[in-house]
Amino acid sequence: MTADITADIKTDPAAEFWRAIADRAVDAAFALVAGDADVTIPPAGILGTAADEGREFFAATVAAFPDLLLSVKRSFTCSDGVAVTELRLAGTQAAEYLGAANQDKHLDIDQAWLMRVQDGMIRSITGYWDQSQLYRRLAVRRLDQVATG
Amino acid sequence: MTLASEKRANTAEASAEVVRTFFDAYRRHDVNAMVELCADNATFNYVPFELWRKQMVLRGDGKVRTIGKPIWSGLIHAVPDLTNEVKSVSADDDGNVAAEVVIGGTQAGPWGAIAPRGRPYREPHLFVMHVDGAGKIDSITCYWDDASVSRQLGHLEVD
Repeated sequence: MTADITADIKTDPAAEFWRAIADRAVDAAFALVAGDADVTIPPAGILGTAADEGREFFAATVAAFPDLLLSVKRSFTCSDGVAVTELRLAGTQAAEYLGAANQDKHLDIDQAWLMRVQDGMIRSITGYWDQSQLYRRLAVRRLDQVATG
Repeated sequence: MTLASEKRANTAEASAEVVRTFFDAYRRHDVNAMVELCADNATFNYVPFELWRKQMVLRGDGKVRTIGKPIWSGLIHAVPDLTNEVKSVSADDDGNVAAEVVIGGTQAGPWGAIAPRGRPYREPHLFVMHVDGAGKIDSITCYWDDASVSRQLGHLEVD
């Protein structure tokens, strides 16, 4: 059974990406992503490439939450190569994150990610979640005063 | 016969078509048609939908017929020109579907804690859905950035 799961992960770049992020291994995760892959993360205001904005976002995430716990709730791969992952990201804030000052709050937030996979590489990444939920958990009270809480 | 029709209903193409039909109905504001495209016991989860009260949190989590229908109707009432633009629909042969849809309109009535200011909004949403063997949607989960919607509508309080 374990061997089967490992085999699935090795043939599924999206699953392998998330396993690497769960292990805080950002370099290993982005070894699966084309450097010029489009990265679109509207809640974080990110529209760029994997090599720059994408890597920076995930590095900031694992740095801000040293006890990061990433739980995949559901995943599937569509006939057009789009991999869908619904997950819960949890952890205790230890540094400024997406403009929110650190107040040592616990974050748990449900997210959904789309990755377009082609020829064994991730060619685009799109992330969805509600930034209001993130702010609420990090004790931010107004959208025009994110940094001050 | 039954097995053959179930197999047809579960192809990626067929599941994607059901979901496109769902958003066509939403664009027409035909909530009854939206509900009819769903299985009787279809589950519904609008992930960002949470209202914090002193001793409880109200969530947009339950069944299409009891939670989804009033939310859809309420949003259409608050945003009379509500529309959607389907950007992409991806599906597999097990009935799983992901639809990227931009939803927007101009707020004319109260919506949750957001008072109407006559402002427009336009926000990308991701719908993760499942279509059963009978061609009915039996699960709807939706993600979007409600902070962005609030900003666009002029509501700056997080709660």
